[in-house]
Amino acid sequence: MRLGSASLIGFVGIALLLVATCDPAKARAQEKKARTVPYPGAVRPTKAPPPGPPGPVPRMPDGHPDLSGVWNGQRELPGDSEPDMLPWAAALTKQRTENYSAEDPEARCVPGGVPRATPYHTQLVQTPKLVVILFEGNIHTFRQIFLERTEHLKITEPLWYGDSIGRWDGDTLVVDSIGFNDKFWFDMAGHPHTTQLHVIERYNRRDYGNLDVEVTIVDPGAYSKPWVQHRLATLETDFDLTEYVCNENNLDPGHLVGDTGGK
Amino acid sequence: MRNRLVLVAGFGLLFSSVPLAAHHSFEAEYDFNKPMKVSGTVTKMEWMNPHAHFYVDVKDENGKVTNWNFELGAIPVLLKQGWKRDSLKPGDEVTVEGFLAKDGTSSMANARKVTLPDGRRVFGGSSSDAALR
Repeated sequence: MRLGSASLIGFVGIALLLVATCDPAKARAQEKKARTVPYPGAVRPTKAPPPGPPGPVPRMPDGHPDLSGVWNGQRELPGDSEPDMLPWAAALTKQRTENYSAEDPEARCVPGGVPRATPYHTQLVQTPKLVVILFEGNIHTFRQIFLERTEHLKITEPLWYGDSIGRWDGDTLVVDSIGFNDKFWFDMAGHPHTTQLHVIERYNRRDYGNLDVEVTIVDPGAYSKPWVQHRLATLETDFDLTEYVCNENNLDPGHLVGDTGGK
Repeated sequence: MRNRLVLVAGFGLLFSSVPLAAHHSFEAEYDFNKPMKVSGTVTKMEWMNPHAHFYVDVKDENGKVTNWNFELGAIPVLLKQGWKRDSLKPGDEVTVEGFLAKDGTSSMANARKVTLPDGRRVFGGSSSDAALR
C-alpha cells in the first residue's frame, strides 16, 4: 500500500513534533544531571582528606592520650559502604537526598545531634573525668562524655545529644551513647533514625595531628545491620574556634526550595 | 595564654586547611543552570552567621537600579580565606560571579567569586565555591 501525500505530511509532522518536544527536555535533564554536585553523605567519598601534622601523641598525667585540640570536622574516609536500611528509612533518605537536603533541620539552626560533627571545626577538651566536644558550627553547642560513669542515666526525656559515657580501651576512647530523640538528621543526605538509636564511637589519636574516629550506628528501628563509618579529624594548628551564632541572620529557610525540576 | 587567632594578610593563603562543608547544600537554594555576573556598588555588608551577605546596587542599560543580595560563606570559613569584616564597604565597586536563587528571586544569588575594588578576584567561601572546587 502506498502512503498518500496527506498521510506522509501527517507522519512527518508528528515526527517533527516528537523531535521538538523530546530533545529540549532530554537535554535539560542531562545538563541538570551533569551539573549536580554530590554533598556530604549523599555519596560515599572517593578521596581521603589530607593528613594532619605528624608528631608524638600528647598524654595526660595519668598516661592516657590527650585528645584535646581544635580538629577539622570529622571527614568520612573512602571505603565505607552505604548502610543497610529498612524500607521506610531508605525511602525517606532517597526523598530527602533528591530534594537536595532542603528540609535539613541543621539549616534552620536546629541541633545536629550525634554523631554529626560538621560543619566547620570541633574542639575536644579532655579532663580525667569528662571530655567535652565543642561544635564551632551548627548551633555552637557542646556534648559531654562522662568518664566516671559506667552506666547510662535513666532517660525519661529523649535528648538531642543523648547520654554519653566513655571508657578507655588501651589508647582508644570508647564512647557509648543512648537516649536520643528522632528529630535530627545524621548528615545532609538525610539518613534518619529512631529513639532506639545507640551510637558507639571509638576515638584514637594516632599521632599529634590525626584523630581516627570509628562510628557505629545501631538502630534496629531504621537499620537492618549496624552502620560503621570511618572518619578522620585532622588538627587545626592556626585557629581557635570562631564564634558562630547560627540564628543571628539566617536568611536561608524561606529560600530552601530543593528540587524545582529544572524550572 | 597565647592567642592563636591569626590575622591573615592575604586571600586564599590558608585554603588547604579549610573544611568547606557548608551549613546547607548548594542545590537546595541555588541553581547551577542559572549562572550570573553583575557589577555595581556595595550598599551594605552583613558580617554575620550562618552566612555573610552583601548587597549591591546594579544599574541596567536603562539606568534602572536593582539591589542584589549575595550570599558568602560562614564567618569561620571567610576568616580563614582572608576575608575581613571590612573587606567590602558601602561605596565599593565590585563584580560578582555566582548562581541565582532557585525560588525565582531574581536579585538573589550565591557569590562564587568577587572582584574587589583593588582588582583582586577572590572566592566567596560559599556553598557554590565548596561544590565546584
